[in-house]
Amino acid sequence: MTTLQLTNINKYFGTGTSRVHVLKNINFTAKKGEVNLVIGPSGSGKSTFLTIAGGLQTPTDGTVQLEGQPVKSMSSKQRDAMRLNSIGFVLQSYSLVPYLTVNEQFKLVRKVKKENNLTNLSLERLLDKLGINDLRNKYPGELSGGQNQRVAIARALYTKPDILLADEPTAALDSERVVEVGKILQDLARAQNTAVIIVTHDLRLTDFADKVYKIMDGQMSLQMAQ
Amino acid sequence: MFLSLKEIKKEKFRYGLIIGMIVLIGYLIFILTSLSMGLANQNTDAINSWNVKSIVLDKDANTSLTQSLITSDAVKKSKITKNEAYLGQAAVVAKKNGLTKESAQYLGLKENQFIAKNLKLTAGHNFKKSNEVVVDEKFQNDGYKLGDKIKFNSASTAYTIVGFVKNAKLNIAPVIYGNIDNWLAIKSLNGPFRASAIVSKNANFKLKDNQVKTYSIANFISKLPGYSAQNSTFTFMIGFLMIISLIVIAVFLYILTIQKIQNYAVLRAQGIPSRTLVSATLSQSVILVVSGLIIATIFTAITAFVMPAAVPMSFNIPVLSAVGLGLVLTGLLGSLIPIKIILNVDPVSVIGG
Repeated sequence: MTTLQLTNINKYFGTGTSRVHVLKNINFTAKKGEVNLVIGPSGSGKSTFLTIAGGLQTPTDGTVQLEGQPVKSMSSKQRDAMRLNSIGFVLQSYSLVPYLTVNEQFKLVRKVKKENNLTNLSLERLLDKLGINDLRNKYPGELSGGQNQRVAIARALYTKPDILLADEPTAALDSERVVEVGKILQDLARAQNTAVIIVTHDLRLTDFADKVYKIMDGQMSLQMAQ
Repeated sequence: MFLSLKEIKKEKFRYGLIIGMIVLIGYLIFILTSLSMGLANQNTDAINSWNVKSIVLDKDANTSLTQSLITSDAVKKSKITKNEAYLGQAAVVAKKNGLTKESAQYLGLKENQFIAKNLKLTAGHNFKKSNEVVVDEKFQNDGYKLGDKIKFNSASTAYTIVGFVKNAKLNIAPVIYGNIDNWLAIKSLNGPFRASAIVSKNANFKLKDNQVKTYSIANFISKLPGYSAQNSTFTFMIGFLMIISLIVIAVFLYILTIQKIQNYAVLRAQGIPSRTLVSATLSQSVILVVSGLIIATIFTAITAFVMPAAVPMSFNIPVLSAVGLGLVLTGLLGSLIPIKIILNVDPVSVIGG
């Protein structure tokens, strides 16, 4: 059931006197079907945690395993393929290609990952649920911040990822939409057996989380488990 | 291709400006190339039409047809076959009352040798009598007609134009083909001279005489007054324009790539391979250059259509295609700098705080 496992992760930046210990002996496990919330202030190390969990950078020491396979042993190409096929990223900003319409954002993914994406019907249902189905022919520049973020979430879910990594996914949303997004992420975890990891300041999402972690000064602790 | 086409479609004005710049550069290069070819041809059109491989000149003439004189004695020692032809050259000013004076090259020929026999006339007939001449079409463009009588310099002898011939230019001047028997008189020379030069279809033709020397036609053409200097000037201009286009394309693509770096970082984070982004940049470069060149070609074709015949331009399609291909390759070369940036995009940079 374990999808992502981080064991004894340490990450340092810089050298000599300017060396900073950003992540301190982190142990983290994400299981399929669970929503994990990582809460922490700016500079606490949560973004570094997210990039290491997503295979975007390597820890100074410790191991990251995805479906039991160490990420460290993967080539750059294999990591690209892992991110494309198994991980969905929702980022705080710049998530969408500005010169592609909402429809074309999915078309781009389909050009690179030709199989095992959401069917047209499932995509339509998802867009309906997110309230953006009528925006399919709009460019990101024609959408509000909240609409952009919802399209980014849909785009990340389109590849049916095993793990969804989200960096402040609700930063630009009002409370009503936060609830909707929280429900969608929770449903996704349950229905698609996906491990959802959300890094956020937004405490409104705790209602939808199975586990809540707090990260502070590079140290992570489990705060709540339902 | 998908990404590049969509971006161009969305940012029409921005890419329109870039294509506009490439159109101007392409058009300028095409026109300069045509002008260069046209001028080069006007130096050598007549020589090219003879299809000869070598030329025999006085060895002290410094490879100059104008300075060369070959004596009858030198000719007598050798066998002149059907592959050789005499040339008697004289620079003349041809005139007829009421018409523009023409600075021309009189080339005296023997009417039974291959140059005279192979002249491709566009009107009239070949010269037969000693006072008949066949002239380049420039005369016709300037109002001269068949049957017109022309005089050379201050001489009183009149020659009748009996034919026009296309592409008969030597050293930019139109050629007047006439009988070689008149050549010495036109050149105001007395002496045992047979011709200015002998041209041959045989690359190894030699006269058995110490006072003459055989040159290849390529060597002879390169020594035509001003020819090499003019061609080098154009080659440098076209070369510099190519380099400028390389810089323009590289700078534009660099700026555009820098503006998109955050999006590329996100796409890389999402697992979109670098290959997809690199091919988008390469195809964008090709689309921009090819679009610009298509429009530049249309402008060049319109220019060729409206340009007066007096302007020495030659629109040689294989040469212009090669120049166009060179510009496409230049565009691809220009996209290498942004590609380096794409390959070094750090997906971590977009995950903040």
